Amino acid sequence: MDMKKHLLGMCVLPSVLFVAGCSCCDDAVAPQAAPAPAPAPVVEAPVAAAQIADVFYAFDSAALDPMSEAQLKENARWMLENPDATIVIEGHCDERGTNEYNIALGERRADSASNYLVNLGVDPSRIQTVSYGEERPFDPGQDEEAWAKNRRAHFVLQ
Amino acid sequence: MSQNSDPMHALMTYTSSRAFLAWSLLIVFLFASSPSLHAVESGEYIRITKAGERRIPLVLRGLDHKRSKDARYADGTDAIIRNGLEYTGMFAILGSPMNLFTGGTMFDPERRRVNMASLGSVGAELYAGGVLERDGGDVVLHMEVYDVLSGRRLLGKSYRGDRKKLREPAHEFCADLVELLTGKPSVFRSRIAYVGLNGGQKEIYMAAFDGFGAEQVTRTGGLAMTPSLSGDSSRLAYLAYIEGFPELHIMDMKQGDILPVRKKGVKIDPAWRNGSSEFATTFSFDGDQEIYLVRSDGSISRRLTRARGIDVSPSFSPDGRLMAFVSSRHGVPQVFIKDLLTGKERRLTFNGRYNTQPSWSPAGDKIAYTSMQKNGEINIFTINADGTGLRQLTYRARHNEAPSWSPDGSMIMFSSSREGQKKLYVMNADGRNQRSLNLPGQQMQPSWSLYK
Repeated sequence: MDMKKHLLGMCVLPSVLFVAGCSCCDDAVAPQAAPAPAPAPVVEAPVAAAQIADVFYAFDSAALDPMSEAQLKENARWMLENPDATIVIEGHCDERGTNEYNIALGERRADSASNYLVNLGVDPSRIQTVSYGEERPFDPGQDEEAWAKNRRAHFVLQ
Repeated sequence: MSQNSDPMHALMTYTSSRAFLAWSLLIVFLFASSPSLHAVESGEYIRITKAGERRIPLVLRGLDHKRSKDARYADGTDAIIRNGLEYTGMFAILGSPMNLFTGGTMFDPERRRVNMASLGSVGAELYAGGVLERDGGDVVLHMEVYDVLSGRRLLGKSYRGDRKKLREPAHEFCADLVELLTGKPSVFRSRIAYVGLNGGQKEIYMAAFDGFGAEQVTRTGGLAMTPSLSGDSSRLAYLAYIEGFPELHIMDMKQGDILPVRKKGVKIDPAWRNGSSEFATTFSFDGDQEIYLVRSDGSISRRLTRARGIDVSPSFSPDGRLMAFVSSRHGVPQVFIKDLLTGKERRLTFNGRYNTQPSWSPAGDKIAYTSMQKNGEINIFTINADGTGLRQLTYRARHNEAPSWSPDGSMIMFSSSREGQKKLYVMNADGRNQRSLNLPGQQMQPSWSLYK
């Protein structure tokens, strides 16, 4: 439950910020960006329009599961609908494992998400990646529920 | 050896006129029976002790002093010497027997006669003591060390220092004592760098070998990690996040200048290569995470790994020829060794599915590393460089990480969350005698590899 709420917050807030940020300086794409109802969902998962959200990973893995791929398709669609947006993808890890290795693993997570977007047609110059390893956990808890939230590629709108 | 059943012990009670003969016999007997414990060679005394094999029973007498108002300096120095020698894990410190001196001048270590029989009766093998004198703003420690079994005086030396900085002369004496016994540079002349976590921010700190006098050396305002000190201690390499993105920094420790190395992608866990001014670190600008040799000006000397997957955390053999590192080329992280001369690589660790953080011992024979186990604990192991002799050093104590050897190879420093917060700990190289440095706040990633 907690995770869903958190995720929803993460999705809506950046979109709102984006709209606010763009409406003053660019007349092209801003208005129809975020909260409008989805025309035709590409994948079955989320409800509304294309929205950017984080994707999650298994322990010691940067592999994308079907859920993550579905979300990344959604993220790609949003990127294509909002061609002026640039993003930073942060790779994060849970606290298990060791810090140095997790910096490397976090980069592989950010890269796997980034590559997926690029393969779907997103211009790579619009994406930056950075790894924080286990240094910036979203949930400080020490159980699988917390760890699962911390193994993520986190999408940040610039 | 047991005191009571020992015929040599009886010899010790003979009168002084016969003592010389008795001692001679004793020494001959000792050499014949246990040559590995005592070796006297060309006037030098080197006690052969395998690291951590057992503690040397030492009578440490508090410093004698003529003037009662010098008592606080004597007490202060005593505490520093005792704590310092205890820190090494080499000694079992015994109480001083009552009848320690048999004559001579009490406040002149050159002339007072030490009672070996008395020391022997409490099981001591070594005796250390001395006289403290104050000379204006200075204190002078006239120190003496005896080998109890042979009655030989091993050290007689004076140490002068500012009375407000008693650690300096006290630790100079500790350093001489340990170096006399091991023949190697001691921890007392070494320093550590580590990551301190305070107020949610990780910055790099430097301190004496025991954590004393910690100073913050980075001010990134958020996140600095993986400090590595060059062998001559002139440079510190580390990872710093500046405005959200990682940079590799090379700090000149004398000038304080910082050279930032900015390349696309990660820069992880630098480690200086012994016998050179270069270090190895991981970059990913080429698309995959590989280890490179980097000059101290930040330019790349050469690429060292070529394998798909994570290659990270280099650590060099003392001669700089071999490099231990972590690779996920077979799926899960394991420790590998690369020969930089032949280019050959081999896998070192086969036990466990998550082996990281290799640290090559100063003697060159062992590699310490951490293994994450099924129960979620991270524990420290040592393994011989040829893959034999696997040994677990920490048990049942949550996360034990980032092992770093003392310069003489007798101790290992690491971080542990066994009491909740992450703190720096030390242990003997065989895992015995684990204890916290008890520093305030949280600390991790110690780098302990250089002299002052």
